[in-house]
Amino acid sequence: MGLNAKSWWRGVFALGALSLTTFNLPANAEDGGNLYNTDYDVAQGRSYFERQCSRCHGFDAKGNDETGAPDLTGRLNRASSDVGIFNILRNGIAGTAMLPVPETLPDTLVWQLVAFVNSLSADPANIVLPGSIAAGADLFTGKGACNACHMISGKGGRLGPDLTFVGDRRSPEELVADLIMPNQDVEPRWWRLRITGRDGITREGFRMNESSFSLRIMDEDDNLWSYANNQIANYERIEDSTMPSYAQTLTDSEVDDLVAFLFSLRKEN
Amino acid sequence: MQRLIGFLFLAVTSFGVIAQEEPFQTVITPAFSPITWDRLVNADAEPENWLMYSGTLSSQRYSRLNQITTANVDELELKWAYQIPVIDRAETVPLVVDGIMFITEAPSNLVAVDARTGGIYWRYDHEMPDDILICCGRNNRGVAILGETLFMSTLDARLVALDARTGNVLWNVAVADYKAGYSKTAAPLIVKDKVVTGIAGGEFGIRGFIDAYDAATGERVWRTYTIPGEGEPGNESWAGDSWKTGGAATWITGSYDPDLNLVYWGTGNPGPDWNGDVREGDNLYSDSAMALNGDTGELVWHFQFTPHDVHDYDSIQVPILADINYQGSQRKVMMWANRNAFYYTIDRETGRFLVGKPYAAQTWAQGLDVNGRPIRVPGMEPTYEGVLVSPPIVGGTNWYSPGFSQDTGYFYVTAFDGEQEFFKRDEDYEEGQRYTGGGGRYTQPMDAFHSSIRAIDPATAEIVWEFPIQPRSSAGITTTAGGLVFTGSADGFFFALNARTGEELWHMSLGARVHAAPMTFAVDGKQYVTIASGNVVYTFGLRD
Ligand code: HEC
Ligand code: HEC
Repeated sequence: MGLNAKSWWRGVFALGALSLTTFNLPANAEDGGNLYNTDYDVAQGRSYFERQCSRCHGFDAKGNDETGAPDLTGRLNRASSDVGIFNILRNGIAGTAMLPVPETLPDTLVWQLVAFVNSLSADPANIVLPGSIAAGADLFTGKGACNACHMISGKGGRLGPDLTFVGDRRSPEELVADLIMPNQDVEPRWWRLRITGRDGITREGFRMNESSFSLRIMDEDDNLWSYANNQIANYERIEDSTMPSYAQTLTDSEVDDLVAFLFSLRKEN
Repeated sequence: MQRLIGFLFLAVTSFGVIAQEEPFQTVITPAFSPITWDRLVNADAEPENWLMYSGTLSSQRYSRLNQITTANVDELELKWAYQIPVIDRAETVPLVVDGIMFITEAPSNLVAVDARTGGIYWRYDHEMPDDILICCGRNNRGVAILGETLFMSTLDARLVALDARTGNVLWNVAVADYKAGYSKTAAPLIVKDKVVTGIAGGEFGIRGFIDAYDAATGERVWRTYTIPGEGEPGNESWAGDSWKTGGAATWITGSYDPDLNLVYWGTGNPGPDWNGDVREGDNLYSDSAMALNGDTGELVWHFQFTPHDVHDYDSIQVPILADINYQGSQRKVMMWANRNAFYYTIDRETGRFLVGKPYAAQTWAQGLDVNGRPIRVPGMEPTYEGVLVSPPIVGGTNWYSPGFSQDTGYFYVTAFDGEQEFFKRDEDYEEGQRYTGGGGRYTQPMDAFHSSIRAIDPATAEIVWEFPIQPRSSAGITTTAGGLVFTGSADGFFFALNARTGEELWHMSLGARVHAAPMTFAVDGKQYVTIASGNVVYTFGLRD
């Protein structure tokens, strides 16, 4: 952490200052819908959320694989406006575990919930980042050689997550962390398995699926392998990332540029 | 003319083909015969039928059927599948009565099918109010049968009696007010001429109870609250008025010992779940096993697994009853792998603790004292900021059925080794609102944890073997005289293990999470095993 601290704190500082601007903007200019949008309303919404919604969506609203409830802190799939969220809450999502809120729940409280859900993700259009998008794009395929591992819009490698819409799922703070502390919170899909077969051959690859009776990996040459448990002599998990840390190899301003570029990779752009 | 001959020819051949392929063209006997109380007491003597949720009154889930064995289980093949029309998760354990299978569906429907083919006889769709409050999904786990009547719990907190031959409603009574957060998901238990049943809603500040209804009329015969009222012994274990909203729900099926005339039932967490400040005391009889007189409902003894619980460690498990050799003498015991990650063997005549040990990862207790009371590790209560504790809220195990084999003498449980950050919140009780006072949060992805099937020796509480599977399994277990343990996994497998060694003998990917327990039965002398996965009920049998 010591080595990374400098650029980490700089990243946070820059964003902290910027997100203040977000607060001053009139909320929801398009639909003019939500009149219940003060800090007090958000707090009311949060308290209802923690009580009634968190058991599926999680206290941090980051979703839960077991209940199938999605992460609400990024871009929503089914609503792009306050009214859209309001309708989801009132009507539920048919055929899923997402039931409507009780009919007796006053509209005020539903709007407060909408305000809370909104507060989970800052409107990206209001976030101004210090880096240059164009310079970031050059770094991505140039000095950074990120495209050796990552695809954007169908171009690039297969040895890391597709980044085509990475700005929808990662905040600028998280993107900074992705670049300088890749070993933190590696998603299980990007863990690796080192498998020694009954035939004595050892192969290593990304953990595409580890099931109770079989394993599937992709090795560094993009080969896909499937092992039944009875073909395996032993295997181990490696939970570190294969992505190098760029804390040393990129300057602070290069990190800024890459973050600006990555954050611009959103569906609306 | 040409044409007519062709037509006749076809008609005749197709008739011939049908006659040849139908397996039951010679003797057809009517399916179904009435189920007397005697037949229920001796359910293990007719293993071709699966007459109650846990197989027998002792809830061992052990079947004497031995056609499918360790030697031929790898020849199992799919015989039929039934697709549940309402998309939700299936937690059903069907009953089979003389060739008819009764399958419950979400939210509270029932279908009767031919157990050989899955072909439908009738279905019952329960009319549901649209303002029900439910804690944990729209499930129904099964029905009970007595005579020619099926008994089903419904999400809107009612008990419905249906004619087993037609699905017609015989009676339909309210057990509690669904508007206050009560609901019902578990299969009832028949005790003589009564239908014994519990209640869900522990997250809504209810006061739990166990009820018995007259099977013929639906009239309530007795009700025993799981939280003693004012003036009753145990009420002092709740600070102030906290007992009124103390939870202790009873949302899984219990067991019955006909010789002792005792009904055994587990109780849920005290409410609010994670903030114990408002309910100082042991909070009796939350997180307990209660033994009730089968005729009167009177409490005969109780054993509290987790006094003053603040982690939602429900004792909503199915008690397994067996007579075992314990330290040189034959004892009537009750076996219990608790959500709190400890396994217990208890004398079921007296409620005395015999032996207990952890069977899954746990950090909240140093161990159990001589009376089976946990010795707590300080500092493991939820805080406003969060404290990391094992097991997590979902527990070392949970409501899914464990099993016991009369051949090996082992107890089998689906165990989970996980951890979670627990935190508390200040909340006031409002009727019909969730009342939990906090929650939990995983700090690692689910893939970092482990589930296992574990075999436990009830005489020592030691783990004999384990079979690891992907987390987090919520499948129940069934054992057979063929030397097998059948269960499922979270990643959609149905599989069979050697009951003695834990060796895997057969597995099949069903493609969706298994939330139910398997069951086994026979028709026309052929053994089958059935399991629900996703929204489908699958039935397997040996190659013909
Ligand atoms: C029983 C579990 C459950 C509860 C409780 C629950 N949700 Fe959901 N929620 C879901 C599921 C599952 C989905 C995804 C449905 C789908 O799209 O397939 C969902 C979807 C959503 C969505 C849409 C997300 C998107 O990306 O478009 C929003 C918004 C939402 N929930 C908010 C809430 C709020 C607010 C509450 C509390 C009032 C709540 N949910 C309670 C399970 C739940
Ligand atoms: C050697 C292959 C490799 C290289 C080179 C590489 N990455 Fe990665 N990257 C990965 C892997 C694997 C992951 C997923 C594991 C993790 O979170 O670290 C990842 C994750 C990420 C993530 C998080 C994505 C998400 O969806 O959570 C971002 C953003 C990212 N990389 C950006 C970059 C950028 C920008 C560069 C170039 C400066 C780069 N990567 C170079 C392999 C690589």
